[in-house]
Amino acid sequence: MNETLAHVERILAFAGGIVVLFVAAVALKNDWKAKGLENQVFKMMLALLALGAFLAILASVNVLAGKGVEI
Amino acid sequence: MAVASVTQAGIVGRHHEEPDQLYVETRELRVQGFLLFMVSDLVLFSSFIFAYLYLRNTGQGWPPPGAPKLDLALAAINSVILFGSGATMHFALENWKHEKFMKFAGWMVSTIVLGAMFLSGQIVEYGKLAVGWGSSGIFGAGFFTLTGMHGFHVFCGIIYLTILLLQAAQGKYTFQKYTGLTLGTLYWHFVDVIWVVLFSIFYLI
Repeated sequence: MNETLAHVERILAFAGGIVVLFVAAVALKNDWKAKGLENQVFKMMLALLALGAFLAILASVNVLAGKGVEI
Repeated sequence: MAVASVTQAGIVGRHHEEPDQLYVETRELRVQGFLLFMVSDLVLFSSFIFAYLYLRNTGQGWPPPGAPKLDLALAAINSVILFGSGATMHFALENWKHEKFMKFAGWMVSTIVLGAMFLSGQIVEYGKLAVGWGSSGIFGAGFFTLTGMHGFHVFCGIIYLTILLLQAAQGKYTFQKYTGLTLGTLYWHFVDVIWVVLFSIFYLI
């Protein structure tokens, strides 16, 4: 039961991660030429959001896993 | 001066109003002030993160004996939920800029719901780890302090966004004057970015 649940969580994390990565990348591309202080911060945060989504994708397929985690 | 009126649909509508001089002159200052607040918050998180990393690298191996195992699958889906809420918040602000109130409200509600889902996931994880809490030592202290502090920020963010949504519905912001919504979006992105770091140090390295 737990293994099935973990499997479903991984699939959802993988699919959701791809969607978020795509959305963040497109938003970053659209905002790339925007000027102003808050837009520069937005761009940095969107890039980090994309990085986070990428890391979540890698974690969902066990490419990245720390020492203290249950795989 | 009236900036709001009730439309036939019962939704508060916004008239076009040119920003006044005071607003134009102080807008950048208010954004800078909010960014300073975020920097101070970043310092707070950084202190705990570096303390955790220092203890982790000076101990007798990692993870310490008796420390509970973290659920990577749950953390991955929970992270995607929070990062997804960052995307929906971005859509909300973009729709406000394009003067689409209903879509803005929809994305704001989605953001709030996703934030609440993230907190629920955290509670589930805490429930699983609570059994090993007594013997988890410095690991438990670092984990629960940092994720608890972040969870508190998410909780405050949910309240903050709910207030912003209500204020927007009441016509407090116009499609030309919406600094509060911009700052709310910045805060939510900040909470997302902090989780990228916490997710990495607790679950990935």
